[in-house]
Amino acid sequence: MGAQKKRAAAAAAAARVSEDPDDLARQPLQAILLADSFTTKFRPITLERPKVLLPLVNVPMINYTLAWLEAAGVAEVFVFCCAHSKQVIDYLENSEWFSQPNFTVKTIESHNIISAGDALRLIYEQNVIHGDFVLISGDTVSNMSLTQALQEHKERKKKDNNAVMTMIIKKSKPSPITRQSRLGTDELFMAIDPNTKQLLYYEDKADHSKGTICLDKMLLAENPSISLHNDKQDCYIDICSPEVLSLFTDNFDYQHLRRHFVKGLLLDDIMGYKIFTHEIHSSYAARIDNYRSYDIVSKDIIQRWTYPYVPDVKFCGNRATKLERRGMYRALEIEQSRSAQVGSFTVIGYGTKIGSNSKISDSVIGEGCTIGSNVLIEGSYIWDNVIIEDGCELRHVIVCDGVIMKAGAVLKPGVVLSFKVVIGERFVVPAYSKVSLLQQPTVHDSDEELEYADNSSGTVEFSSIQGTADQSNGEMTSESSEAHKPKLGTGGVGYIWSICEGGQEEEWRHSVAPIPEDKLTELSEAMDDDQELVTQDRTALSTSGELISDSNASEGDDNEDSKDDSVYFEKEVEATFLRAVEENVKVDHVILEVNSLRLSYNMTSADCAGAVFYSMMKLAIKTPHSSAIGLLTLYPSPFSMVASNAYPIYLSGELQQNTANIITTWQKLLKSYLLEIDEEIEIILKFEEMCLESAKEFSPLFARILHILYDKDILQEDAILRWADEKEGADESDKVFVRQSEKFIQWLREASEEED
Amino acid sequence: MQFDDQGRVNKSKKRAVFNQPEAKNRVELFRHLPQYEHGSQLTDLESKFLELDSMHPAVYKVGVQYLAGDVTGGNARCIAMLRAFQEVINDYSTPPGKTLVRDLTAKISSYVSFLIECRPLSMSMGNAIRFQKSRIAKLPLTLSETEAKAALCNDIDRFINEKIILADKVIVRHAATKVRDGDVLLTYGSSCVVEMILLYAHELGKQFRVVVVDSRPKHEGQALLRRLLAKGLSCTYTHINAVSYIMHEVTRVFLGASSVLSNGTTYSRVGTACVAMVAHAFRVPVLICCEAYKFHERVQLDSICSNELGDSNDIARVPGRPDVNSMDNRTNEKNLQFLNLMYDATPSEYVSMIITDYGMIPPTSVPVIVREYRREYLLI
Repeated sequence: MGAQKKRAAAAAAAARVSEDPDDLARQPLQAILLADSFTTKFRPITLERPKVLLPLVNVPMINYTLAWLEAAGVAEVFVFCCAHSKQVIDYLENSEWFSQPNFTVKTIESHNIISAGDALRLIYEQNVIHGDFVLISGDTVSNMSLTQALQEHKERKKKDNNAVMTMIIKKSKPSPITRQSRLGTDELFMAIDPNTKQLLYYEDKADHSKGTICLDKMLLAENPSISLHNDKQDCYIDICSPEVLSLFTDNFDYQHLRRHFVKGLLLDDIMGYKIFTHEIHSSYAARIDNYRSYDIVSKDIIQRWTYPYVPDVKFCGNRATKLERRGMYRALEIEQSRSAQVGSFTVIGYGTKIGSNSKISDSVIGEGCTIGSNVLIEGSYIWDNVIIEDGCELRHVIVCDGVIMKAGAVLKPGVVLSFKVVIGERFVVPAYSKVSLLQQPTVHDSDEELEYADNSSGTVEFSSIQGTADQSNGEMTSESSEAHKPKLGTGGVGYIWSICEGGQEEEWRHSVAPIPEDKLTELSEAMDDDQELVTQDRTALSTSGELISDSNASEGDDNEDSKDDSVYFEKEVEATFLRAVEENVKVDHVILEVNSLRLSYNMTSADCAGAVFYSMMKLAIKTPHSSAIGLLTLYPSPFSMVASNAYPIYLSGELQQNTANIITTWQKLLKSYLLEIDEEIEIILKFEEMCLESAKEFSPLFARILHILYDKDILQEDAILRWADEKEGADESDKVFVRQSEKFIQWLREASEEED
Repeated sequence: MQFDDQGRVNKSKKRAVFNQPEAKNRVELFRHLPQYEHGSQLTDLESKFLELDSMHPAVYKVGVQYLAGDVTGGNARCIAMLRAFQEVINDYSTPPGKTLVRDLTAKISSYVSFLIECRPLSMSMGNAIRFQKSRIAKLPLTLSETEAKAALCNDIDRFINEKIILADKVIVRHAATKVRDGDVLLTYGSSCVVEMILLYAHELGKQFRVVVVDSRPKHEGQALLRRLLAKGLSCTYTHINAVSYIMHEVTRVFLGASSVLSNGTTYSRVGTACVAMVAHAFRVPVLICCEAYKFHERVQLDSICSNELGDSNDIARVPGRPDVNSMDNRTNEKNLQFLNLMYDATPSEYVSMIITDYGMIPPTSVPVIVREYRREYLLI
């Protein structure tokens, strides 16, 4: 295999070298257009019509791509059709594309292809690509000039035979909150050599939860400079050398253009193939990957970023449209009521009727639609021959051909209505739901798909759309006879698809509707939390995905160490204390030992007081109680502690007695650390903490033990009162123990007043 | 001062604090205005910092800010100057054998001439200086030095508060009544009062759109646009060469002014007159928003006799467009003169209304305000 690979590459290289540079220039530029995205993101619409024929501002997407390829100087385009190939071929045959001078469009059809990789392998077998070619999918809108990128590619190729691909990128900063670009694609990390523009690293599925990306250290070692970008958008326009096709054939497991091919080339350092990038600045390029990018690219077209591919310039297949002020495009023969308000950035297709008092803004209305009166349409995409009756409301939705909305129906943001659905009177379609005449196919049963789907991805599934569509077509014919579909209101026809598992929360990410405010605030809050975590947790790096410098990391360590220290210290003190109790060590000696610990751990006397007190209280719990149930005393003490945690079987009186005893015995030890009032307060706080967390048994006894501590002169009244004062402003939850000891505090206050 | 009068220019040069090389190719029509070679002044001034022992640091700071363009806009410049004078007065002690009134006035005059060197005064600043000097002159002789200083500082505070800050608030209230739902408001450049009006009207919940018209070379409108967008206003941004296209949609034009003159002429950022004229031709009301302290009793018919010239390099170069470079290294060509005017005069017939702190008045009423309220300066 390897040998064969090498031979193929060598043969290709030899063929290259023998060619005259002038010959190279004269060779007509070819392009491969994949008329299938091999994804399911546009379901349910793509079950009935291929994605490339979906209208984008009233023109099928593929026309934008073909028009651009023609303008960019491509002479021959191979349109690779897979899903609904018949429809694509029929469309192309009836369009003008087959009759253009100097521009040939050829179709390649295959039904059993499930990935871009398979498609390229098939094209390689047909042996139609002779030189450099442009690889693009039929859902890309661009107006860039290929000349410079092509020139760069050819020059690089001349110098270095391994430079097989040039990838077009464009600057686009992802939102820091959603970690998505404005086109709704995931944040993309690329490492590019700033001098040669070589692509060194490509990761579109970075794990944001950890906030880290891993770069191979060889990458840093081998390249003198490297710039890591998260602000670049992959335009999915690639200029490839013919070797690319043979590479796909050699590596028969390459399926996805980016995830397998690009990453595979970047990792594979044996063959040394290189991918380069070309950044475009002022021109436009974007691929429609999901509903969000459909929305964004439509808006960009209406706002003329894609000039000359705009509605009022005839490029192919679009009807004459007039541009009016504020981005309003109106085709001919529109019937519009005088009282209807058509707002800015709206396209209205040929022969559409709009009733009185209807309001339309930021929307695209297709051809031959009938819109009743008092209809509200905002930010929506309505395709051809849709009937919307009076009083409907549509916000940020996609409505496909032939849909009928009965009077008063409401579509919440993010709804997608597939072909010929009927929505019943006054029916409210919930947000983000997808409605189709076809039933939701059971996606997860095909072994083939499971095998193919990348384990790490999960969000993108590939499947043979053709097959499932046919299957469900059959279902539909049988199903439609049973006319009971109560789900869409009276007279409604269609199924509301259940959102597939795991996708529910992600639905808003790729929807046509803009991201709701509350989601954004939720996310940004979550991000703040993350950042807090980062400061505590040394394993987490900065969430922004940047490499953290050494100094920061060591700082994190320091924090961690000090936290650890106090825990160790506490444990040591506890151990010392327990040993002292068991072996009856003299109090003075214990003080000495704790002092030495204090010095070695660099702690304050308040810490000592806290730790000593903590160990004393622990001991009080652990001490087997004289009158407790006999069985318990038989168990070793740790077990009894476990038991006590689970069942509060101690009689509170006994625990109190125990505590009192221990405090009396060891009060000298404790007192030796209570030099000032601060330390006393520290003890109260420690006690409070214990009652809440480690030793809940004490919580009902809090006030009484406080009293004991006071009686034994361990705590002065000043300390208790100051603690109470401090807690005054705290949260309700923090005040539990102040409440409990309210009487005692009250009594203390009165006593001190009397003294005065 | 007439800069085409060679004798006077030489005299003033001797007094000058720092060197200002004069532009080589001066525009003939504007020889009476100072035309300097830009670029080297700031470093020259900075290098002189230690030598200028007579200069108060606060004044020096303001001067550098003017020169570097860090403080722009009539109100901001005026407030910066007054605050600097406040510090001057606070630190002032009368030298032996001199009187406070005389000596302080002289000192302030010298500071003012320094500030003029940095950038020509705006009319508003002229008014404020005149007010300041009259306050010093009118100080009762019975006051002790500390009392006099406190009184002067207090006067400056009151001037800033009443004539600028409160006046702006009043103007905003007045102007907001002129914004109706569905309006399309056009503004030119960046005026802080107009910005306050737009934001206030937006806060009131009025539904309107804003068209921000901008121009080279300063692109002041972009900063305004950014602030408006941050507050959620719906904006359109265009350059002044498209003003006749966009004016079709506009229902009101709000403009700021550097000064309003006695004959109703508005003296403002260059381009304002063009916008006002186009609006007039389209029968769109033009509202000028200007505080009354900027009114001036001078009468001016054109924008030639009094104006300010900016850096000629600004218009010769297109920043961020290395492909547009045909003017590079041509700035010193003999038969080429760059004219970068800063202000222009809008005749009163193109102005529908002037919104000021005394209410909304027609341009013909400006002399009344100047005459009747001029005395009030003395009353503060």
